Amino acid sequence: MSKKLLTLISALVLLVMVLAACGGSAPAPVAPAASSGEAATTAPAAAPAGEKATLKVLVHQNPPMVEFMNTFNEKFQSKYPNITVDMSVVNANDLSTVTQTRLTANDVDVVDIFGFANAAQPYMKNVTPPNWQTLIDAGLLMDLTDQPFVKNYDEATIKDAGTYNDKVYAINLGRVSYSGIYYNQDLFDKYGVKVPTTWAELVAACETFRSNDVSCMTAGGKDGWPIFVGAYGLTGALYPDQAALVEGLWTGATKWNDDQALKMWEKMKVYTQDMMESGASGIAGDAAPGRFASGEVAMFPGGTWYAAAIDAAQPAFKWGYIPFPGSDNADDNKYLFGKYDQGWAVAANTPNKDAAMKYLAEFSDPANYQAFANAVGFIPTQPGATLDTAIGKAVAPFLANFRVGFEQYWVAPKGAGQYANPWASYFKPFGTFDDPKELADKVQADLQSGLDANK
Amino acid sequence: MVNYHFGRGRARLAPYLLLLPGFLFYLVISLGPSIATAAYSFTDATGIKGAPVHFVGLENYREFLFMGQASRDNYDALLRTLIFCFFVTTIQFTLGLVMALIVNQKLKGVNFFRTIYFMPVILGAVIQGLIWSLFLYPMGGPMAQLIGLFGLESEFLGGQPAQAFAWVMFVQIWANMGITMMIFIAGLQTIPTELYEAARIDGASSWSVFRNVTWPLLTPVTNTNLLLNLIGSLQAWQLFLVLLGYRNGTQVLGYLIFAQGFGQTSGSVTSSFRQGYAAAASIVLFLLVLVIGLTAQTLLKRREERIIG
Repeated sequence: MSKKLLTLISALVLLVMVLAACGGSAPAPVAPAASSGEAATTAPAAAPAGEKATLKVLVHQNPPMVEFMNTFNEKFQSKYPNITVDMSVVNANDLSTVTQTRLTANDVDVVDIFGFANAAQPYMKNVTPPNWQTLIDAGLLMDLTDQPFVKNYDEATIKDAGTYNDKVYAINLGRVSYSGIYYNQDLFDKYGVKVPTTWAELVAACETFRSNDVSCMTAGGKDGWPIFVGAYGLTGALYPDQAALVEGLWTGATKWNDDQALKMWEKMKVYTQDMMESGASGIAGDAAPGRFASGEVAMFPGGTWYAAAIDAAQPAFKWGYIPFPGSDNADDNKYLFGKYDQGWAVAANTPNKDAAMKYLAEFSDPANYQAFANAVGFIPTQPGATLDTAIGKAVAPFLANFRVGFEQYWVAPKGAGQYANPWASYFKPFGTFDDPKELADKVQADLQSGLDANK
Repeated sequence: MVNYHFGRGRARLAPYLLLLPGFLFYLVISLGPSIATAAYSFTDATGIKGAPVHFVGLENYREFLFMGQASRDNYDALLRTLIFCFFVTTIQFTLGLVMALIVNQKLKGVNFFRTIYFMPVILGAVIQGLIWSLFLYPMGGPMAQLIGLFGLESEFLGGQPAQAFAWVMFVQIWANMGITMMIFIAGLQTIPTELYEAARIDGASSWSVFRNVTWPLLTPVTNTNLLLNLIGSLQAWQLFLVLLGYRNGTQVLGYLIFAQGFGQTSGSVTSSFRQGYAAAASIVLFLLVLVIGLTAQTLLKRREERIIG
């Protein structure tokens, strides 16, 4: 009897496990598709009665942006009480991984996507397509071409940072410069230092600060990239046409160890070893604005997106922002290099398309967008918006000279070594190199190795 | 006549039915993904649902092992993995044994110290990383202040790759030494006290007792610990991610696989997800673990047979 019982129990256990494994969750309710013309260039005014929906939104960590989004979401939910916004915040480094995972699992409706960049160019051989392109090719992002709110953004932005194969898949919310330097006005005044417009003046300014026991520059070195991105202005000053630079590197017309590049490496050595403060490698990226706002450091090479965080850390702190003076010719130092930053894309398979379109339409409403630009400090991508903030005023004189930076064009050839980049962080104390010529040869050799492997 | 517990006829199926859920679980959770990884290594898969997957033959292996400077960088990562494995295994094993011998004594408060030494094991890589990031903060962190007393300064985790790599080794040992210690304690407690008493009566010194009684009788747990330490350190990657991120001169194979698979290799922009390529790198790591693990297991088994019989 007991043996039969045991057999029966084991069979039942197996059956339960198999059923549990095979069972799926109930299908999610499908919201009605957006009717034609529902979204408008200004957001819909009324809150229509409808099916309840939870809209899952994914954004990357950027404190002023997250703060704005929390406020915006509350307003949006008041206007559309049947829609609940469930917003997740992830570290910028993890955004791509989480986006892919959640899109694949149909677990997100609206995703934060950086401006389309790093597309494979005709002269690039055997490169893997960028992630955003793979997501679109896989049918995971929704075609937004016919959505009325797309027209709220300037055409160039839609074309450069959200269009693929003549269809719009993302609206981009702003450009940022990453090649400028914040400077502490009080320290400059105190030590009688003139705001530098050339490399020689920048070197002299740092010497003055150091001789007065004031650290010259800081950066969020713990995240790795702020050290080398902070020096992209040096690359920009020597290679103003960064698209041509990338093509030249691929075709062999430009080399990372020619005379021009050697000047860049020599300056990068000064930047990492003489200008950057000791201990910068331990400062987290989002803590760096606070370090600068503490008033103990004279300069902070960083992106325009840090302005709001600096103000939040010390509202009374007085700062200015200038293009990185990487050249000895002041006219070469009037360019700002940067990228298209955050944008919105929608999951193609979202069951909440109607809610997602309302969300984007509401966000794209000129008044809301202006508030967003003010809060985050992005250079606006809506034609009517202005950047009425300190950073807006600081970059205004250089906006005509705004250029998309190297990093947004560059795709490394397969087989290229790990040093095939123009990164200041290869120098000590962050890296192992001390001699600019030795580093220049290594960088070019690592790049050439990849180019040769793909011939 | 064999005494078969489950009876006759259909009842004989019972043990197999009882084993089946576990086997299915193993198949789905462990064996299945391993086979899928081997299959993926011959494709250009990105891991993105709906993206086309093409068969590329041995191309991923060719790229990983033979293509340009990147392949030579991979060999450097391989060498670094072996160095990491050697030092972590050696130090963690030795420290674990020493700590186990100490906290196995009948001393006051010994349970407190056992708990303290074991505690890092339960924290998880993220917490472990956070603790040491703060402790090694170069601008006024505890360690910076300590070396500052001697007029020294260091970037610690953000400094020279070799230095940063050494710190990850240190944290790896700190994080896992507790489990090594606990396994040794379990082994020590199985050694009959009569053997120690007999040795003492014969006038054996502490070192002789350890060498001739404790060490030989610890052989089974020694083997277990060595294998666990070897395999664990060869597969390590989480602490590299949490403490260092993708930095030249610090990657080990485990982290290289993660970075390639999830687009973490390009600094401040996301590179493409190359999960087919990462799968090929995984197979290389698997072969490395297999060769080292099997060799170690064979040698340790021979030793065990020689000592215990």
